[in-house]
Amino acid sequence: MATAGADLIRQMAAGDRQAFALFYDRHAPVVFPLILRIVRERADASDVLQEVFWEAWRDAEGYDPSRGSPEAWMITRARTRAIDRVRATRRRSQTFVAPLDEAMAAAPADPAGAAAEQAADRGTIRSALGRLPEAQREVIELAYYAGLTQTEIADRIKQPLGTVKTRIRLGLERLRDVVKTSP
Amino acid sequence: MTHEPFDTLAATYALGALDGDERAQFERHLAGGCDVCEETLRESAEALAALARAEPRAIPPPEVKDALLRRIAATTSPRLERPQPRRLVWAVATLAAMIVGAAFTGTFVASRYEGRLGQMAREAAALRARVQQDEAALREQIAVYQAAVDLLRDPTTRVVTLHGLGPSPEATGRVIWHPVSGGHVFVANLPAVPAGSAYELWTIGDGAPQPAGLFRVDASGRGTHRIAAVQGGKPVKVFAVTIEPEAGVPAPTGPMVLASK
Ligand SMILES: [Zn+2]
Repeated sequence: MATAGADLIRQMAAGDRQAFALFYDRHAPVVFPLILRIVRERADASDVLQEVFWEAWRDAEGYDPSRGSPEAWMITRARTRAIDRVRATRRRSQTFVAPLDEAMAAAPADPAGAAAEQAADRGTIRSALGRLPEAQREVIELAYYAGLTQTEIADRIKQPLGTVKTRIRLGLERLRDVVKTSP
Repeated sequence: MTHEPFDTLAATYALGALDGDERAQFERHLAGGCDVCEETLRESAEALAALARAEPRAIPPPEVKDALLRRIAATTSPRLERPQPRRLVWAVATLAAMIVGAAFTGTFVASRYEGRLGQMAREAAALRARVQQDEAALREQIAVYQAAVDLLRDPTTRVVTLHGLGPSPEATGRVIWHPVSGGHVFVANLPAVPAGSAYELWTIGDGAPQPAGLFRVDASGRGTHRIAAVQGGKPVKVFAVTIEPEAGVPAPTGPMVLASK
């Protein structure tokens, strides 16, 4: 699966449009919900989705399989672009706290009724985030979904920077362990 | 200094939350090469990807895929409709009307005008032929440039510089080369070849040089030539131009006048 994905990117680098269509079909359903969760507006999410896949087509040559799976490659891009969009919007509107609270409130509930296998996978991961101590989950969500830097997080939750750093490190270590032990 | 502080920096960096001097410090550390941090970043990215997979599904808007495929098609294939050289089309149309008018009037006018009108019509017809010839050449030229521009929009396209050698050190050239679509060569300052010969382009990969077509230059020493893609998409390492018999040869025999490095 991972190899097949890397092959697709190699074909894209050679200008293969059909490979791109397959690549899009495979990854857009995973990438789009993440973008939507971060930017919140469907129209903005569509723009970001298009930019992210356009960049993937343009930069396919730069993909290095030894640095991660195609999925992680796309998700890292998608998250970065989505946060860029949120930050730009924030700068424009100069409202900092309100959209952030909204974003946190919008964190989705556990999915119900999806395909059993995917749901099981999601259950593990979701509960992985849920199983983290509240303090660790909070800093990871503020960083990853709301795009706050460590300094901004410290300001916001009124904790010393050192505490924020420790929570981030411990939280992420825990998440990595869960992913490594689940297939 | 132990590595431990970098473990924290790596985790924060993976989340995109590292800022200020620490970010610069970590990026320097990473640039210096660190397998431990590379591994942390890779595993973190996979863990975060797993979080994204856990998001409830949302169907991507279908118009995004359509828009992307259109955008890609526009950059990777030559467009079918090319812009018309409008002013020239207008000039040809006007000229055609003038000639028709001249011929029509000619049949009704007294014989003493006939000679003059006939001459006018002949001159106009010659002018029209020349304009049409120029227009065809211009269209061809535009098509070449358009195709080159289309190729240049593609990130996999390379631009290779050719340097003058031996008999024509002042000659220059560029090859716009796409591994799948082929490309174009543009040359300048090449002298006209002796009668019975032509310039022949070669693509050189791992094996023997492959003939890539014959071309000539105009009076100002310029020329363009469309290069077909190499069969099997084999990589081209060097482009070269030699002077050969005008029918072309399967392997280079004459002096090399241009080559890429
Ligand atoms: Zn390190």
